[in-house]
Amino acid sequence: MAVGGYPPPGHFLGDLGFTTEVLSDTAAVARTRVTPFVSGADGGARAGVLATLVDVVGGLLGVRILRPDWMATADLTLQLVRPAVGPVVEARAELVRRGRTTMVIEALVVEVDELGAELLGPDGASAPVAWSTLTFAVLPGGNRAMAEPLPVDLPAKMEIDGPGLDRPLPEMLGMTVEDAAAGRVSLPVHPYLHNSIQAVQGGAMALLGEVAAAEALGSAVGRTGASMVVTDLQVAYLTLGRVGPIVTRTTVLDTGGSPHPGGARRSGTGSAVVELVDSGAEDRLTTVVNARGMVAADFTAARPTATGAVDLAR
Amino acid sequence: MSGFTPTGPPDPRHDMSEYFRLERWEIPPADGGEGFSEFAGRVPLDDHHRGAGGGVRTGALLTNLDSVGGFLAGLSVLPRWIVTTSLMVTVTRLDHRGPLRVHGRVLRRGRNSVVAAMEVVDEGRDDGLVAGSLGTFAVLDPGDMNVEFERPAVVAMPPPTDDLPPPEEFFRIEPGTGTTTRLDLAEHLRNPWGILHGGAAAMLADVAACRAAAAGPSALVGSGSSPMAEQLAAADTVLHYLRPGRVGPVEARCRVLGGPPGRTLVRVAVHDLGSADRLVALGSVVVLSVSG
Repeated sequence: MAVGGYPPPGHFLGDLGFTTEVLSDTAAVARTRVTPFVSGADGGARAGVLATLVDVVGGLLGVRILRPDWMATADLTLQLVRPAVGPVVEARAELVRRGRTTMVIEALVVEVDELGAELLGPDGASAPVAWSTLTFAVLPGGNRAMAEPLPVDLPAKMEIDGPGLDRPLPEMLGMTVEDAAAGRVSLPVHPYLHNSIQAVQGGAMALLGEVAAAEALGSAVGRTGASMVVTDLQVAYLTLGRVGPIVTRTTVLDTGGSPHPGGARRSGTGSAVVELVDSGAEDRLTTVVNARGMVAADFTAARPTATGAVDLAR
Repeated sequence: MSGFTPTGPPDPRHDMSEYFRLERWEIPPADGGEGFSEFAGRVPLDDHHRGAGGGVRTGALLTNLDSVGGFLAGLSVLPRWIVTTSLMVTVTRLDHRGPLRVHGRVLRRGRNSVVAAMEVVDEGRDDGLVAGSLGTFAVLDPGDMNVEFERPAVVAMPPPTDDLPPPEEFFRIEPGTGTTTRLDLAEHLRNPWGILHGGAAAMLADVAACRAAAAGPSALVGSGSSPMAEQLAAADTVLHYLRPGRVGPVEARCRVLGGPPGRTLVRVAVHDLGSADRLVALGSVVVLSVSG
């Protein structure tokens, strides 16, 4: 099913496969299955995939809250607590603030079983695998680029599906690592990864930033990008990536391999800044991603913390 | 720009900057060209600002990023002005030697918002990078606020003052333990708009997250006994400023989410108790063990 014709058939959101449900005027959930094609070195869903999940549920909620206006993702943060192995991950989104020009949504990501029941922590309490925020810029006047007008009654439940992935998502999207050490990764722009206004979908941009950061951080510590896990993403969307290819420029801030600063144990984490430029639009800077990553073996030692249920916006 | 020394009087409107002795200076486009000015700032590492990591605490770092980023973004939208709506910082070192220098640039100026990138280097470590940051600022009509500045804008470093209190005392953060920490919204903690300063909310988040991580079962526990809050340090932080904090007291409520050994993610929600408990800021803080 699509809303206003989005996503169209033959789109990566359909291949990822989502089920969504609006719970109230200010809350919604979305689920996707964790498969090897969306997983990273820790065996869990990649941060960029979870960013896509959160962007989808945030957008679904935003459409209902803002219409007849539309929105564009302005920034997104996502922080993994431990590997999101599933079998299914569910993003629980709630409106935090709706202003005249912006809207802020918070989302917690939890693991659920095949029947949709949450997999609880060792004390029987909710144990999120990731925490996320989204800021949307409000676009007055709606989305004139939609293939179809929005229905008056948006469905409370939707399934976004397609044939499915047959290889890893970065490969499906056409990402090419051009220079691992420099964190230079290229992404062609094509309808398979468009958002509703025919630019690269925000989750795909986050995934591109994740892949570039992993490559650069891995190279910096003598490893491959495939052995790294990006755990934290802070994404600022500046302009739309429309022409392509979108190419990354990465600066490693620290590798985490040096003796620990200040005596703190940092789990060997490193960080990087990734700039995404639209090479077909005079190298215009479209997105900036601050990312943190670590060797997968260190991250798999993470475990849930028993703190009881987290009430969003409380 | 490390050799540059701004001159001029301290800015009397900014208690926060005076406490940290933040100097700031505008860097106009080269050769008078088009584009936005960049902006820089420098803070000395006074002893009373040192945190568990040995250097400037992350809450303090965010306070100064808020000040530098706010000035940078504000100058780009004159005669209008800005209010900070989000700050995100990635911290790479906690053991600063100081002084720290901030450099900021505008990434995007839109009709309603400005996005800026800032980086922080440690002049005492050969300009080694200690943090990278992104900030978003909403554009507003300044009303009665004076936004006239001599250009290029310069704010000199205030002189050192004896007997300045540590951040908890300056920021009126109540002593305590556990997952809830309270701040008294004193007049000097208000920004030029008259509302809770973004830096005060950041320092509150820093202290509250460390106390919560010390109190709760967390990934920081496991290699021995539970660490005290004083053995923990805030690092990577995300803060969304949602609504003005006008009345106070202001309360930070934390949930420890977990993480790999030595590193715990804490969700922090900041409420204005005097404004019907409304949520004024929301974010996360990564807490690190510095217990050696």
